[in-house]
Amino acid sequence: MLSLRFSLSPSNITLTKKNQYHFGTKFPKVFATTTSSSNSDNGNVGLGGPEVALPEGLKRELMPKHVAVIMDGHRRWARQKGLSVEQGHRAGGEKMRVLTHLCSQLGIKVLTLFAFSTENWIRPKEEVGFLMKLFLDTASSQENLDKWTRNDIRVSCIGDKSMLSKPLREALTLLEEKTKSNSGLHVMIALNYSGRHDILQATKRIAKKVNNRLLEVEDIDKNLFEQELETHCIEFPEPDLLIRTSGEQRLSNFMLWQLAYTELYFTNKLFPDMEEADFIEALMSFQPRQRRYGGYITKT
Amino acid sequence: MDLGNEVQKILSWTSVCGNLALHLIWLIVHLIINVWYSALGIAHVVENTLISSGLLKSYNAINISKVRYLAVVIDSEEARQTSKVLELLRWLASIGVLKKSQTAIIEGLNKSQKATASKIKSQEAIVEGSNHGTLVEHVDLEFVSFADSKPAVAKAANLLFAKHYASTILEKPNFTESDISEALQAVGYGGPEPDLLLVYGPVRCHLGFPAWRIRYTEIVHMGPLKSMKFGSLIKAIHKFTKVHQNYG
Repeated sequence: MLSLRFSLSPSNITLTKKNQYHFGTKFPKVFATTTSSSNSDNGNVGLGGPEVALPEGLKRELMPKHVAVIMDGHRRWARQKGLSVEQGHRAGGEKMRVLTHLCSQLGIKVLTLFAFSTENWIRPKEEVGFLMKLFLDTASSQENLDKWTRNDIRVSCIGDKSMLSKPLREALTLLEEKTKSNSGLHVMIALNYSGRHDILQATKRIAKKVNNRLLEVEDIDKNLFEQELETHCIEFPEPDLLIRTSGEQRLSNFMLWQLAYTELYFTNKLFPDMEEADFIEALMSFQPRQRRYGGYITKT
Repeated sequence: MDLGNEVQKILSWTSVCGNLALHLIWLIVHLIINVWYSALGIAHVVENTLISSGLLKSYNAINISKVRYLAVVIDSEEARQTSKVLELLRWLASIGVLKKSQTAIIEGLNKSQKATASKIKSQEAIVEGSNHGTLVEHVDLEFVSFADSKPAVAKAANLLFAKHYASTILEKPNFTESDISEALQAVGYGGPEPDLLLVYGPVRCHLGFPAWRIRYTEIVHMGPLKSMKFGSLIKAIHKFTKVHQNYG
C-alpha cells in the first residue's frame, strides 16, 4: 500500500522563528524542520556535488548502484502536444539533464541511457539526421562540459561508433577524455547500441585473443565474456534497476546480457513527461525488493 | 510587558492549533489514499472474477495464435510450490497456449517438477485430442535454466572459435549474429524467441532467462505465484495481443 512518505507528527516538528500567520483568508504558513535524530536513515549524500538529504522514504544503503533507462515516447509526446518530432526529442534531452542531476545528487554510481539503437536507423532520414546533430551539439557543448565537471560527472559512450559521423565520433572521444578523471556519477550513453551486437563483439574479441594465444580455449566462460562486453570498463556493469517509459514492457535489444537480474520498472508515462517525483517513485519501488539473484533465502 | 505576554500566549496557542490541524490533514489524506487503494484492490478482484467466469466478453475470444512462443519464469523460491506450478500449467493448457505449433518455455523448475509438468502436458494434450476427436498433437514444452543463458553463450563462442579460427581457412572470419544463433543451436542451447514472457515471483526481473532470445520479448510481471489469478493470466495475454511493436 503506497502512502505519503513524510511524517508530520507533532513530536518531529520544531517551529522555527520564521512562523508567519496571515489572518483572514490565507492559511497560516508554518515553516517546520524535522529533528535530525528522527532522520538517522536519511543520510546526506555528497559525491562531488552539494550535499543533499535523500527524499523521505529512500534509504542510502538501498540505493541502486547502476540505473539504466530506456527513454521511450518522444515522438508520441510530440504528437500528443501537437509539436514536431524534433521538439519531442529536445524535450527528452531536457529530461536527460534532470535525470542526470538527480542521480548525481542521490549517490547513484552509474546511469546508462539508451539514446539510439541499431534498429533506429530505419527511422525517417530527417529524424535520424536531427538526432545525430542533437548528439553532436550535446557532446561538444562547453556549457554541458562545465556542468559535468562542476558536478564531477564522467561521461562515456557505448555502442558501435563506426557508423557515426566523424565529427560526432571525435566529439564523443574528446568528451570521454575530458571527463574520465571525474569520480562522481558515471553517465553511459548507449549510442548505436545493440545488446546482441555487444555479445557478438565480445565473442570476436575473445576468439581473436585465443587465436593470438593470449587466452586458452578452456578460459572461455561467462566471467571472461563479461570482461569483453562494452560495459566492462565500469565498476558496476550490471544495472540494478531498469526504467522504461511509455508503457512498453520489453528490453528492445538493450543490454541483454547485463540485465539478467535487473529489476524492471515499466511506467506508462512518456519520457518527456517524467518528473523528478516519477524517478524517485521508481527508486522507491526498487528499494524494498528482495533480490535473490536466482538463489534461495534460507529461513533461520 | 503584559501585552507582550498576551501576544506570546496567542502565538503559542495558534501554533499548537496549527500543528493539530496539520496532523488532522495528514490523517485525512492518509485515509483517502488507503481507501483509494482498497477500492483499487477490490476492483482488481472483481475484474479477475469477471474475466475468469467469462462474463467480460472482450476477454473470451483471445487471438492466441499471436502467442507463438510463451515463456514463463518462476522465481526459485516460488517454484517450490509444485501444486501452484502445475495449476499454472493447467491454466495455460486450458487457454490453449499448449497447443500444436506453440511452444511454452519454462524457467525455474527442478527435475521432479519438470517430469511432472511433462506428464501434465501429455495428459492435457490427450484430453484435448479426445474432445476434438483427433489424435494427440505434439506439444512443445521447453525447460530452461540459468545454464542456458550466459554459460551457453560462452560455449557458443568456443564453437565459433573452433570453426572459424582453429581451422586452416586463411580468410579472416567475420562473425554475424546469425553465426551466434547457429552456434547456440549447435551446442544445444538454441530455441525460439518468446513473444511473451510471464514472470512469477516477488522481484520484477527475468531471472537470467537466455539473454540472446529475449530481444523483443514482451515481459510481464505477474506477481507472486501463490497469489496468481486465472483472470490476471488471461488479461496479460489479452493485453499482449493488442501490443504493436515498431522494432526500431
